[in-house]
Amino acid sequence: MKLLKQFWWILPLAFIAFYPVTLAGGSPYWSGLLIFVGIYVILTVGLDLLMGYTGQISVGHAAYFAIGAYASGILTAKYGFSPLGAMVIGMVLTGIVAWALGRPVLALKEYYLAMATLAFNEIVVTLIIGLEWLTGGASGLRDIPSFSIFGLVLSNHVHYYYFVWAIVIIVIACSLAVVRSPFGRTLVAIHSDEVAARAFGVDTAKYKTRIFVLASVFASMAGSLFTHYMGFLAPDDFGVLTSINILVMLFLGGIGTIFGPILGAFFMKLLPELTYQIHDYELLLSGLILIIVLVFMPKGLFGIFTAIWEKMFAKADK
Amino acid sequence: MTDFSHIVQFFFSGLTSGSMYALIAVSLVIVYKVSLLICFAQGEFFVIGALAMVTLVSKGLPMPLAFVLSILISTVLGALVQRMLIKPIQNAGIGNLIVMTIAISLTLRGAALLVWGKESHILKPFSSGAPIPVLGATLQPQVLWIISITIVVLIMIWIFFEKTKLGIAMRACAENRLGASLMGISTDKAALLAWAWGSGIGALAGMAVAPLLFMQYGSGVMPMVKGFIAVSIGGLSSIVGSVVAGLLLGTVEAYTIGLISSKFSDTIVFSLLMVVLIFKPSGLFGKG
Repeated sequence: MKLLKQFWWILPLAFIAFYPVTLAGGSPYWSGLLIFVGIYVILTVGLDLLMGYTGQISVGHAAYFAIGAYASGILTAKYGFSPLGAMVIGMVLTGIVAWALGRPVLALKEYYLAMATLAFNEIVVTLIIGLEWLTGGASGLRDIPSFSIFGLVLSNHVHYYYFVWAIVIIVIACSLAVVRSPFGRTLVAIHSDEVAARAFGVDTAKYKTRIFVLASVFASMAGSLFTHYMGFLAPDDFGVLTSINILVMLFLGGIGTIFGPILGAFFMKLLPELTYQIHDYELLLSGLILIIVLVFMPKGLFGIFTAIWEKMFAKADK
Repeated sequence: MTDFSHIVQFFFSGLTSGSMYALIAVSLVIVYKVSLLICFAQGEFFVIGALAMVTLVSKGLPMPLAFVLSILISTVLGALVQRMLIKPIQNAGIGNLIVMTIAISLTLRGAALLVWGKESHILKPFSSGAPIPVLGATLQPQVLWIISITIVVLIMIWIFFEKTKLGIAMRACAENRLGASLMGISTDKAALLAWAWGSGIGALAGMAVAPLLFMQYGSGVMPMVKGFIAVSIGGLSSIVGSVVAGLLLGTVEAYTIGLISSKFSDTIVFSLLMVVLIFKPSGLFGKG
């Protein structure tokens, strides 16, 4: 039991490592599903840094997902950039956009912040639809090549699976490092009382902007991965509904936990698969799930897991 | 070439959508004034009101009865939502409350999808009659209905909040919750009433424009967002400000679509919102 307590993280890691060859049995469908889960974990972890730790609401996270995705898609499909180069350019571009927006937008609070982030999401989507010559408009962007690193081409879903989850693990490790650093503790201080934090000499605008940039760059990375795995982009995948979906994943998994988003993304991506015969119920179900989480389980699925975990060890330690 | 009749036509369509935005903005402001909460589900009341009326009319009910019943349905629904979902978590912090109203919006939209399906529904106009020619443009009779409904609602709200004891008590809750409750005003009841009012007005907006738009379970998202834009421009707690801003928004939008670009009209409107939010967060008509 003691060993389990210390090395529990090996279990999920082993699951991730052996999943495509064992449970999925090489099926592209199930691996594909977990690739999407991984991409959404990256998005949701970023949002967790922003909302869970720093307390800044965002209803437009899909905007940065879109910028990364379209930067990668356009640069590789139309201008022959290497996927890795395009991904990095996408990240830099998203970072600059987030940095420029960060200070003025994050000075807003609550509804105003929610609405400004939503408005930015809409601006990005309407631009994607409007600038047809660049983005392919509503009919989409085609012929996006597979991802490749230094000549190695990711040619099937198993390759993508390992690549995406390797990035997920890096993103989670980075996020844990951030929240456990003095920087992260300052973010939590801003969350609990921004005025007090400022009174202690914290340049809150600077901190909020930095974490916003980090979250956006994560989202941009997720966008690039999405682009190359799909090989096709359409504006529908980047609307406010997607942003709200990420929000649902965050709250369901457990806000302010870093690990929670994995559970949330897993559950929310599995849900449509379970309800595919009754596809029309998806919207209602995700709404009801969110309501149940908000009323009955404020710490989300992760909170339930940790509660069970602690009970288990409380017994074992006796 | 754009001649004068086009300019008039754009003005009419601006007035139509502007009235719709103004009504939704007012419904948002009423809820906000009393419970300091913006309801992201307001667009769903808009849709449910309209679609309920479509169903009732198709079942053979006379228009006026269907009209009153649909408002009642939405009002009761709004009150239920407030009591069952908002009240239990009202102390959970503003972030959670915002997400809760998003959850309510998803749930109601999902329920509307199950009840009315994915198809679009259209309501027949409130009164029959040929379009009225005005200065070379044409005016749908329904537009006159929309404008008169907006005016009547505004007068009713003004009388309610300025002249009735209940309305003044509700305003007191907005000014100072604790103070109001010390004076024996039930802040719970005030919030309940505000939600009922708000969802009723939201539904009314939907019903008024339903004969001109194809209504479908997801049609409420954009009007809600536009309503919020109007509120942001007009100031969160100013009914007059949000009405003016709603009309302004509708007009600007109509002229942008007509004269500049229909593709980028939303880009322009949302950019406008961001500029207003960044430079004047309390709204153009807001205080402080």
